[in-house]
Amino acid sequence: MAIAVFFVAAAMAVLGGIGVISFHQPIRSVLSLVVVMLALSVEFLLLSAQFVFAVQIIVYAGAVMVLFLFVIALLGPARELGRGRLRFQAWLSGLFVLVLLGLMWAMLQGVQYRQPDSKADMSIFGTVQAIGAGLFTTYLYPFELTSILLLVAAIGAIYLSRKRIDDL
Amino acid sequence: MTNQTLALLILLFPVAGAILLAGRGWRLPRIFTVIIGPGVVWASFVCVLALFSGKAHGDFTYWSWIKSGSLDVPFNLLIDNLSIFMCLVITGVGGLIVTYSVGYMEREDDPSYARFFVYMDIFIFSMLLLVLAGNFIFLIVGWAMVGLSSYLLIGFWYQRHSAVVAARKAFVMNVIGDVGMILGTFVLFVNLHAITYSGVFQAVPHTDNGNLELAACLLLVGAVAKSAQLPLHTWLPDAMEGPTPVSALIHAATMVTAGVYLVGRMYPIYDVAVYAHGAVAIIGAVTALFAATIAIVQTDIKRVLAYSTMSQIGYMFLAVGIGAYAAGFFHLLSHAFFKALLFMAAGNVIHAMHDEQDMRKYGGLWGQMRPTSISFLVGSLSLVGVIPFVGFFSKEQILGLAFSKPNDSLALIVWIIGAATALITGFYTGRMWWMSFWGKPSPQRPVEHPHAPSLVMMVPVGILAVLATVGGLLQTRALGSFGPSLVNDFLAPAVGPLRWEGDWSEVVIGLSTMVLATALFLAAMRIRPWSAYVPWAQRMLERKYYFDEIYDASFVRPMDAVAGFALRGIEEPVIDAAVVDTGLLARAGAASLSLTQSGYFRNYVLVFVGGAVVAAVILLLRASS
Amino acid sequence: MSTLNIGGSQIDTSWFLLLSAVLFILGTTGVLVRRNPLVILISIELMMNAANLALVTFSRQLQNMDGQLFALMSMTVAAAEAVVGLAILVDIFRTRDAEDVDDLSELRG
Repeated sequence: MAIAVFFVAAAMAVLGGIGVISFHQPIRSVLSLVVVMLALSVEFLLLSAQFVFAVQIIVYAGAVMVLFLFVIALLGPARELGRGRLRFQAWLSGLFVLVLLGLMWAMLQGVQYRQPDSKADMSIFGTVQAIGAGLFTTYLYPFELTSILLLVAAIGAIYLSRKRIDDL
Repeated sequence: MTNQTLALLILLFPVAGAILLAGRGWRLPRIFTVIIGPGVVWASFVCVLALFSGKAHGDFTYWSWIKSGSLDVPFNLLIDNLSIFMCLVITGVGGLIVTYSVGYMEREDDPSYARFFVYMDIFIFSMLLLVLAGNFIFLIVGWAMVGLSSYLLIGFWYQRHSAVVAARKAFVMNVIGDVGMILGTFVLFVNLHAITYSGVFQAVPHTDNGNLELAACLLLVGAVAKSAQLPLHTWLPDAMEGPTPVSALIHAATMVTAGVYLVGRMYPIYDVAVYAHGAVAIIGAVTALFAATIAIVQTDIKRVLAYSTMSQIGYMFLAVGIGAYAAGFFHLLSHAFFKALLFMAAGNVIHAMHDEQDMRKYGGLWGQMRPTSISFLVGSLSLVGVIPFVGFFSKEQILGLAFSKPNDSLALIVWIIGAATALITGFYTGRMWWMSFWGKPSPQRPVEHPHAPSLVMMVPVGILAVLATVGGLLQTRALGSFGPSLVNDFLAPAVGPLRWEGDWSEVVIGLSTMVLATALFLAAMRIRPWSAYVPWAQRMLERKYYFDEIYDASFVRPMDAVAGFALRGIEEPVIDAAVVDTGLLARAGAASLSLTQSGYFRNYVLVFVGGAVVAAVILLLRASS
Repeated sequence: MSTLNIGGSQIDTSWFLLLSAVLFILGTTGVLVRRNPLVILISIELMMNAANLALVTFSRQLQNMDGQLFALMSMTVAAAEAVVGLAILVDIFRTRDAEDVDDLSELRG
């Protein structure tokens, strides 16, 4: 049963990903990405990451994607003209990514995973309690820095999008 | 104040003067230069007098410069009677000439005026170093610096092309001499293992004659170049491009006598190396005759004096060449007096004539510039060798000693040549005097009423005229073995005593030569132009026996060809190309590499991903091996 | 070989990682090929999501919470980066007609 859920979500994620890079209208790409994110959140849940599953939906799909939608609304319908100026870009890129995919697939063959060293308490694994315990004790410093990072990003965004008096 | 300090002060005063003037003299008022320029030379003179009166002598070492194996070169000064004698001449006559040039060079602008005295002070310092040095290395240092000063002073008016060419010619020939000196020093050091005079002279008796002959010949090359003797003489007449005080100081009184000093100082070597010693005498005698004949046809007053200098130094070489060292140095002293006098008096005339030096345009100056004319006459009679002037005593002593030297046929030969030269000297000197100072003023005279020279220009001339008149009293050996012989006695500790005694035949020879020379002097006024009879002789003399042309063809042109080839065949295609092409290569490389900077964001990401692929491959290979 | 016990059945860890790899490759392709700047930014988000999946997978496999915490941080950073990137994008392309990243090539040479 879990396997079926896994494969359905995986298929949706891959289809969404293909949609992201294929649609010509950016609005459709954004919506495809939302589909990918929802699929991935299901995968997170399968992996016992309850808090991450929730955050993925609320923050990532809910806030960041909405931000993208607002920008698309601001910029209006976009036109991607013609064939572009870089002639070799397309097939060279295809070559590289296929090679990369092949390499990653080769890496996964015969891989030997490291076994978990100490038996963790699986009853609280992935819960809010476990996340809180980690964030506020061991990883307090990165947590605080991340909050400053958000502040900086907000200030930066306000500054960059202020109205200019001269043209442009 | 110890003798050691005094000796060092003699050298330090001119150097300090040069540095002071070079540093600030350009910008300060002229009075500063006027006081410092000649002042330091006189200060040196005072120190020399102190040493002279204190009968100082010694080998003073100040510091040890090089100590390497058996090569031990100290900075030491040798104070003996010979070096004091030379210092007296250099600082005394030099002081008079530098003072004279305060007036002669007054028309220069301030920076050039200071520059002149800087160069003069450097020259005085170099010459003093040359005669005071106690070892061969510093002798060569002084030697080379004197050559440098000569170059700087000959080419003083560097905007003039002829001056620059003359300066270069003088310097190149001096360098030939320098090479001879250095090689001679090498030979001495290799065989005698000593570099100081005391060390070398002590080792001379124990050394093989062949090596000493070789060293003596090499040192002679240096002496010949510096003293403008045959065959390295062609630079001296051209050196007259420099200002007249320069000609007086360097090319009459001091620098060109350095060769004589060298032979005198090295007398232990030359006493043993008889072939080289004989060569000295022959070179001197031949040069004396050669130069005197050329002086007959010169029209530039300074050129006549230049060839006359060449000739008189030939006499000095003759003297030291036959072993009469003290007589040679006495002639050096008297020549310094009367030749400097002649040059400076000529300088008075040139200055008054607005730099006109052609004697044919003079004439009749006796009436208009009386004191200068009298001084010039005193100098001329001294040059000819007329009693009672000092020239008689010194020159006739040399000729007498050459005549009376026992068992030496070479001495007799050179006496004949010397006597002939004395007669010709009378003739050209007379020609010079009558043409410039007597008769009616030439219609081509640039200045109708020449101004009298200023006091600062007349007083040194006057002093030298007095010295030329009474200087003979220093040594009257030419008139017989009575009377003072101060120079001989003074120099005996340094160069050895007089090696043979003359007799009354010396005196007769001397007096008869004087009479004949005086006769020619007087006759020069009336001799008809003889060139009409032998035009080829006139041409040959005017072309200075074609020496310049021969040197040009055999040395200058081949060197020009070699240099031209080196420029066009090697320098430009190979070396320049290597340097320039390296730059071009770097630029081409950069240009081709900059093509990767396309400016497109997607290209950069592609390179990024390519790098990731490579990293993944490496990781895989590492993991699988 | 390692399997995860998920809801009673055993799923091989490698499947999750393969999914992550595929999504990552898709994102890379988007960045390389598309010329619309917005789509490029979205593709970058896709790549970051793929990385998050890999992190959480390993966290489950090693039974260590660090992976999930890292994924949280990664999400925060992605949000901040998206904000700033979009602000810049809006600033540049607001007045242009077409949106083409190839127009921005002044830094060539």
